[in-house]
Amino acid sequence: MPGDLPHQYPFRFVDTVLEERDAGFTRGRVSMTVTAGQRACSGPDWGMTFLLAEAIAQSALLLEGGDPGIGRSGFLAGIDAFSVDRSPSPGERLTVDVALIARFGPIVKFRGEISGEPGAVARGEIVVRQGEERA
Amino acid sequence: MNDTELKSRVKDLIVRRLKLDVDPQTIEDGAPLFGEGLGLDSIDALELVLGIEQEFGVKVADEEVGVKAFSSVDSLADFIREKSAA
Repeated sequence: MPGDLPHQYPFRFVDTVLEERDAGFTRGRVSMTVTAGQRACSGPDWGMTFLLAEAIAQSALLLEGGDPGIGRSGFLAGIDAFSVDRSPSPGERLTVDVALIARFGPIVKFRGEISGEPGAVARGEIVVRQGEERA
Repeated sequence: MNDTELKSRVKDLIVRRLKLDVDPQTIEDGAPLFGEGLGLDSIDALELVLGIEQEFGVKVADEEVGVKAFSSVDSLADFIREKSAA
């Protein structure tokens, strides 16, 4: 089942489905493990890495433009060679620089760098899948 | 580079680029890379596009060409040889 997810290591978190959802989807349960690779990828502030990677993905999809129904929809599907220098401060204004590396159908890889007034925040490569999410 | 050397380099590239936990030499030349074969997906395909361009200087024009070229090690080696000769 986790193999059905479009996401890739280290952004695929779910190990196993412990409880399938019930009819009304009032509850379902999965297990996940933070691997050594994910820890190494994310630095000391584990959650911050993924928020910053998501920020680059949203920036990339917005800048990609094109058909608003296609070009601007999509989701973060992978992170590669991502490093975080520091956590941004509350209220800090950040700049996100994005460049397209490669495209293969709906799968697009971007390089991004986030910086603020005191300097670099994070940089790395992310993979997005454009278009509608798989059901 | 002969056919065996090229296929060996292709297998090494696949394993290294996609960080697969398999011995490159256990990949069969004709086995499908996607789906039931090595189990690669479309994100892996993008990494292969980048790897082939960097290592062999060969560009994959679009998804249609890539899907055909990436069907097996045999087809990928044929694709690289054909494009390198052009």
